[in-house]
Formats: sequence, structure tokens, C-alpha cells
Amino acid sequence: MSNNGKITLEIFRYHPETDTEPRFQSYEVPYDEDWVVLDAINWIKDHIDGTVTHRWSCRMGVCGSCGMMVNGEPKLTCAAFLKDYHPRAVKVEPLVNFPVERDLVVSMDGFMDKLDAVKPYIIRDDVNDTSEGEYLQSPAELARYKQFSMCINCMLCYAACPVVGHEEEFLGPAALALGHRYNKDSRDQGQSERMEVMLSDEAMWGCTFVGECSVVCPKHVDPAGAIQQAKAMGAQEYFKGFVMPRGAGG
Amino acid sequence: MSGQYHRPHRWAWWTERPGYLRFMIRELTSVFMAGYLVVFVMTLASVGGGEAAFAEWIAALGSPAWMAAHVVALIAAVWHAVTFFGAVPQAMPVFLGERRLPGPVAQIVMGYGPWLTVSAVIVWWVVR
Repeated sequence: MSNNGKITLEIFRYHPETDTEPRFQSYEVPYDEDWVVLDAINWIKDHIDGTVTHRWSCRMGVCGSCGMMVNGEPKLTCAAFLKDYHPRAVKVEPLVNFPVERDLVVSMDGFMDKLDAVKPYIIRDDVNDTSEGEYLQSPAELARYKQFSMCINCMLCYAACPVVGHEEEFLGPAALALGHRYNKDSRDQGQSERMEVMLSDEAMWGCTFVGECSVVCPKHVDPAGAIQQAKAMGAQEYFKGFVMPRGAGG
Repeated sequence: MSGQYHRPHRWAWWTERPGYLRFMIRELTSVFMAGYLVVFVMTLASVGGGEAAFAEWIAALGSPAWMAAHVVALIAAVWHAVTFFGAVPQAMPVFLGERRLPGPVAQIVMGYGPWLTVSAVIVWWVVR
């Protein structure tokens, strides 16, 4: 509990060189209603315990580095205000559904592999020379995917998704939303390449539309919506395969 | 990499967030709908058994236990339908140029509207 302008943070601690199991350590920090949880963790590191390890960078909800579990909820700690928890203690843990490297830092390796798998970039069959100018796009064409392009790779959606925790093959909300973002981009010609990956086994079909990924997304990307749209697109591809055998098209 | 800590699987994950519980309840409604489908198939089978068998089956369905089962199935079906229509704007966005049709409008146009229309036609066909 906290009192007299103080608030308690219970921090998840795990140092692989000494610990076999994680533990929680309590720290009392000054309470300032303008502070966010990240400010409090930084204060602990600067003034009480320099061994506390965490990731952060921009402090303004752009870089996506400071995602952690705050009282069990996946949050950007730079956007989680202490005043929303005070006077109760705040429990801070690394994002669930990821291996923990150290204290509040999780391993991003699996996530990066999944991102890479959906080829999150524009693929062209015919690449124009830069002297020919940009690939033009209308505002209406931009509107089809703009929402999905706002992802900051904070991985909160992976921590909110129960399927990510149980199905290793599942590519997960952010990667699938990004794959769908490029499939919907009028400048892109790589949909079939991407769908080959997305449609395999549990890569996309593992999604059962729990929908909590969209609830916790700080950028309102709505990955759950993107995945359902991608599923519909995949089903169309599947049925097209019956009426238009491969190679028959132009 | 060695030394990483892997959290154990949480079998009771569906109790951790209200959204998870809502999801599980929605999945559970499918069981009642599947059950009702079995009742429907049994009704068709009774038709095949002749007029007397059909009348007997319909009379049996009028019992309090069967009525209660129907009410439960109806509540489950309505909940399933409402949550399904709630997901329509996410899964099937409709764009008018640059603008996306607002969620409630999309639900009416693509969900509740056709549902009520088809239901009205069925009611008309049954009671005419």
C-alpha cells in the first residue's frame, strides 16, 4: 500500500545468471499524479536499484518499446498514469506469452520472425525506375489499409491473445494485421506470396476471434478485424482455386 | 538463447479477462444451437414416421422441460446472433469512397436489416 505521497511498485524480477524462478520486489516511489508507470520505473532505476532492467525509448506512445503488464493488463507504461492506480500498489510484469530475458524485458525473437514471415513491405512484379516517379494512390485506396499501418509493434496484442500463448505456429495479431495491410495496398503485387504463408495451417486460422488484441491496441489498429478480413480474403482465394486453376489467369 | 524464463501455461486463462469470458460464453452458445439442430432433425424424422408419430413428438415438445430447453436455446441463439452482428463491421468493412460506413450503420445494413426482413417473410409465410 502507499501513503504520504508515495506509491508502491511491485516489480517482476528475474536475472537468468542467479535466478531459476522469478520473484517480485517492492519499491516505494514518490507519487506524482503527472507520472506514468514508466516514470516510476525510471525513478527506481535511477535512485533505488540500478539492476532493474526494462525497455523504453520515446516516452510518448510512438516507439512501442515500453509495453508491460500493469496490474495484469498489457499497457504501454508511458501511457499508464499512476493516478489511475493510486493509492493501490502497481504490479509490473513483462508481457505475457513471451520468454523473459531479464526482469521486465522479453525476447522479441519469435515476434520478429513472425513479422518477417508476412513480408511486411511492398512487393512489385514490375519495379519502376525512380525517374518514373511514385506509385500513385488515391485517398480512397489509402483508406482501405491506413488503420492497419498505424501499428508500432508494441506487442501488447500478443500479450492479450490467448491463442498466441497456446499455439506456436500462430503468426499473431500484429504480424497478420501488417500482412493484411500490404495485401490491401493498391501499390502492392505480393498478395499471393503473402497468403501462401498466412493460409498455411494455424498461421492465420488459429485465430478464434477472441478480439482482445483490438481492445488493448494503443493505436486502434484493430488487428482482430484485419485477421477476419484476411480470412475472408483467404477463403475467396481458396474457392477461386476451383474455378480458376493456377496459371490460368493473366 | 539459454536462461530465458518461460511462464507456465495457464489453463484458467479464460478467467483472466472479462473479454475472454465473453468469448467462452459465445463459444458455449454454439453447443445449444447444435443441440437445437438435433431437435430439428428429430422433428423431421418424426414427420417421416407418419402423422401420429409427428403429433406425438410435437406433444412431447410441449412439456415444461422441453419448453425450458427451447427458451435456453433461444437465448443462446439470440446472444450468438447479436455478437455475430456486432463483429460484422470489423470483419466486413464497407467503404464509400474514403469513408468507412460507421459500425452501427453497417450492423443494420448487413446484419439486423436482412435478419429482420427474412424473419418477417418467414412469419408471414407461416401465419398467412
